[in-house]
Amino acid sequence: MEEEEPQKKMSNRGNNTGGGNNSNINSSNRPEWLQQYDLIGKIGEGTYGLVFLAKIKSNRSKSIAIKKFKQSKDGDGVSPTAIREIMLLREISHENVVKLVNVHINHMDMSLYLAFDYAEHDLYEIIRHHRDKVNQAINQYTVKSILWQLLNGLNYLHSNWIMHRDLKPSNILVMGDGEEQGVVKIADFGLARIYQAPLKALSDNGVVVTIWYRAPELLLGAKHYTSAVDMWAVGCIFAELLTLKPLFQGQEVKATPNPFQLDQLDKIFKVLGHPTVDKWPTLAHLPHWQSDQQHIQGHKYDSPGLYSVVHLSPKNPAYDLLSKMLEYDPRKRITAAQALEHDALVPSQPGEKIVNYPTRPVDTNTDFEGTTSLQPAQHASGNVSGAMGGPHVMPNRSVPRPMHMVGMQRMQQQSMAAYNIANQAGMGGAMNPGNIPMQRGVAAQPHQQQQQEGRNGDARISTTEIKAFLSLQQCIA
Amino acid sequence: MATDFWTSTHYKQLLDQEEVDVVHSLDKERGITLEDFKLIKLHMTNYIARLAQNVKVRQRVVATAVTYMRRAYTRRSMTEYDPRLVAPTCLYLASKAEESTVQARLLVFYIKKLHSDEKYRYEIKEILEMEMKILEALNYYLVVFHPYRGLSQGLINDSYRMDLILIYPPHLIALACIYVVCMLKDKDNTAWFEQLRVDMNSVRIQS
Repeated sequence: MEEEEPQKKMSNRGNNTGGGNNSNINSSNRPEWLQQYDLIGKIGEGTYGLVFLAKIKSNRSKSIAIKKFKQSKDGDGVSPTAIREIMLLREISHENVVKLVNVHINHMDMSLYLAFDYAEHDLYEIIRHHRDKVNQAINQYTVKSILWQLLNGLNYLHSNWIMHRDLKPSNILVMGDGEEQGVVKIADFGLARIYQAPLKALSDNGVVVTIWYRAPELLLGAKHYTSAVDMWAVGCIFAELLTLKPLFQGQEVKATPNPFQLDQLDKIFKVLGHPTVDKWPTLAHLPHWQSDQQHIQGHKYDSPGLYSVVHLSPKNPAYDLLSKMLEYDPRKRITAAQALEHDALVPSQPGEKIVNYPTRPVDTNTDFEGTTSLQPAQHASGNVSGAMGGPHVMPNRSVPRPMHMVGMQRMQQQSMAAYNIANQAGMGGAMNPGNIPMQRGVAAQPHQQQQQEGRNGDARISTTEIKAFLSLQQCIA
Repeated sequence: MATDFWTSTHYKQLLDQEEVDVVHSLDKERGITLEDFKLIKLHMTNYIARLAQNVKVRQRVVATAVTYMRRAYTRRSMTEYDPRLVAPTCLYLASKAEESTVQARLLVFYIKKLHSDEKYRYEIKEILEMEMKILEALNYYLVVFHPYRGLSQGLINDSYRMDLILIYPPHLIALACIYVVCMLKDKDNTAWFEQLRVDMNSVRIQS
């Protein structure tokens, strides 16, 4: 057989052009697939690579986030992170999970691009906005809606035997303007994996979950862990939504490759009290609990003060739910499915005021190659027309947009009104794109009273109904 | 969904035997017959298994790799995608997908050890380039369901010597294996199979 020839030729071509990856790449050099997008700019950066905001040329109203994976330098090909993300997101589909719309490969420089539906907001930015800009708590109604949608997506993942393993506010996206406005999307599946019948102990994947959101069983070195690690992270995020501060803000010791982080454990123990083998029987078997008696077992904290930290009365159902998410024993920790049925997530009246969240900053001076032009990076708010901005600039990017929370599908249609409409506190009189008065809830009020008690009926409503309702609301407004 | 076979992309992509038994036009031009096509795939299945033994990965990784290789050739020609490069690359990709990554340089080491023939010798860079082409050829669908789960492995491993995994759901392949074992041991299983209410035709065809 002589199959090598074409193959060899192809790799030669790769050799010759792959090196031409210099700073001055103009669009004509770009692969064909790239031509379908208008690049707006860079919106994020991580260990995996860069994230760009782009528009589809054929449909200018559609924004796409393109995640570019760096080439691995040590000759290991497509990063396992990218493989996990592609593998899982090609299989699953849920309204509270980010949607992978395309995968592109650039054979010239062996780079890989994942294209997602763009989400304007994320919980990290929303929390920061409330803490640093409006200086006001997120209202209970919005917190509930976010939490319910997050749990809804997570329940879907867990019932498909998928653990996310990296839940944190910056990975929980919220859709901006458009059909799905206010819909929460779980993103970043770079650490996610299927945990049915694993070939190796899960701990072989190395350290998972960002330290502040890391469950105690991970911190104590558990070899095998379960989807309960995600629920711990949800608990931490829930508390953060309430107080606008990370619940357990431990100092990370970066040097250690293991998940054990003494300061993080200490922060947890201070709030929740010291775990005991009585309440958490398998605790005794965890490697770091056994090996580091002096430090871990030596500290004794026994005044659990979670309710005072989150400013909730111990009788508040929200407090009950939170404490069940932050249960030490992973086997007793509440599951996503159970949490969705919890009393704390019973529908309530929406807030009346609206917060306009700022749009994501876009660095318009960075191109797909990650090359930055000489001008200093500009940030989007009010100032998008940078070097490359030109015709791509969306006129309303500078205007903070109001966000509406949807979700809460288990409620009856009429009471959905309470959830779909305006929410949010703060910034009275803030602008919105059409200067629309924000009292969208008023029309729906009459339905609410009769439906408030209906939550245990067969009350699920479809996404289509929610969307139909949303657009109806927009028409009325 | 990632772990429900009936909603998986694996299920949605199942093919008919006639769709699998198509020799790519480029290969036909070079005189490769359907018999050659099947034999080359069988040969590459063995090659993947032998490489896997050396780099010490589990049987499921082998099964996934073979599935990738067989799937790739429902869409790509052997002329453009040399099986001697595709086979180790599929093992490489499968090891990542099944969370038991094997390093490319280790594969290259064992390729050289197993084959003195120049035509098998590919370098790391070529494997990495082919990895991306295989990803594309698979249309980025990487989740594969296998008929294992507690069944004796020998016969099931043999099922990967054909294209069964591209055509039948894993449970039918597993049943066919049980059927074959019963036949070989002269056990009458008709009643048991009747209770299962499966399509015995598909079981017999496989057997």
